[in-house]
Amino acid sequence: MIAFNDITLAVAGKTLLENASLHVAGGQKVVVRGASGCGKSSLLMSAAGALPLAAGTICVEGQALGRCTVAAIRARIAYIGQEPVMGADTVRDALLLPFSFKAHRGNRPDEERIAGILERLHLPDRILGQSTKRISGGEKQRIAVARALLLGKTIFLADEVSAALDPQSRAAVMQELFAPGITLLSVSHDPAWIDACDRRIDILDQRLVEAP
Amino acid sequence: MTTDLSIPAVLSMYALLLLPLAAMFHLQLGVVRDTLVAVARMTIQLLLVGLYLKYIFQLNNALVSLLWVAGMMVVANFSILKNAGLERRLFFWRSLAGVAASTLLVSAWFILVAIRPDPPYDARYMVPIVGMVLGNCLRSNVLSLERFYSGIRRNENEFTTYLLLGADLHEAVRPYLRDALRAAVNPTIATMATMGIVSLPGMMTGQILGGSMPATAIKYQIGIMLCIFTSMVVAALANIRLSLPVAFDDHQRLRPGIFIS
Repeated sequence: MIAFNDITLAVAGKTLLENASLHVAGGQKVVVRGASGCGKSSLLMSAAGALPLAAGTICVEGQALGRCTVAAIRARIAYIGQEPVMGADTVRDALLLPFSFKAHRGNRPDEERIAGILERLHLPDRILGQSTKRISGGEKQRIAVARALLLGKTIFLADEVSAALDPQSRAAVMQELFAPGITLLSVSHDPAWIDACDRRIDILDQRLVEAP
Repeated sequence: MTTDLSIPAVLSMYALLLLPLAAMFHLQLGVVRDTLVAVARMTIQLLLVGLYLKYIFQLNNALVSLLWVAGMMVVANFSILKNAGLERRLFFWRSLAGVAASTLLVSAWFILVAIRPDPPYDARYMVPIVGMVLGNCLRSNVLSLERFYSGIRRNENEFTTYLLLGADLHEAVRPYLRDALRAAVNPTIATMATMGIVSLPGMMTGQILGGSMPATAIKYQIGIMLCIFTSMVVAALANIRLSLPVAFDDHQRLRPGIFIS
């Protein structure tokens, strides 16, 4: 589903990963761990084509990430960072932002679907009218998850998604991202999140090492 | 005819500079030397242009005038890229194409459709009109290119989010394009809105001092302002659009090497 083949990743002149490989099968839940600054977030970003590789290839659903495929791959992947960008003034506009782009213009969700997803993520209806500047970090992360679910994404790259969440909200997010049809490659320090994953990968000495 | 200024009269104008220079020196602004250099450059450049223009107007040759205009555009383009902080080797031809297309289009419209001089390439119209349009294009292009690329660099996380949410490159850059165009046109919109009340524009004043009827001068001023505004928007838009293929890599990531290091 997601295959990192002998990748070398360097950011600002610092090599983070060298000839590292990882294969994530469809439906698997994988967590990447490691010391701060070792390249966990960069690994996720590279899978979305947001960071260039110094060497190696990344394949998503059998398609190698490249000039001709990057748009199609991004259309299938949801990346949720530590500080999700809302990209609009109100929560409603933030949720509907991707549907203003040509790639998703015909799939604008109805109110019922939006309300259903908000409820599943323990977000109140009234948040739709709120300014994105006035909502908490945890709410932003759940809105980013909601936006990805509205887009029907099935491959999630989640970077410390549970970090700013209370236990109840975390459980709600985990229920969505750990659903059977979802492929999850994540970064987390949260023991509950790590325990729930099928595989744990450590970054050690610029390599991706499978932990027991 | 305009009353000519004698050499002592022109020199007396430099005396005015003592006021701002004294203030700058007292406040330790650190720009006294820059001001003196800029005034010296302005004086020398204008004296030389005065000499060149005299011959260009006497010659009144289409090819010579076009070469002069082309030279102005190349110099303007150097200035645009330097002041916008962008690498000349990457953007030079694209930026030149944007500036040249917009400037020539609106200048040609003004000269050939509105003024209709005889001959159509009359240097007395072509050189000053293209010069005025180009000068304003330069300012708007510096503002728009600088604002556009620094906006994306400053908000890289936001820009990447747009791409990851399914935006193509043109959709992802749109918020920064809007900001850049606003920055480029807002000063001119403000100038047009107060023109005649707060300020008497240079071209109109020059024509009146040169002996033209105020009604004629006003018509020319309206024409040139519409030209300037149109070319500013078209040039800023064209320049940004033309620069996209070299500014972003094949994954739509901003190339770090586009900025002057």
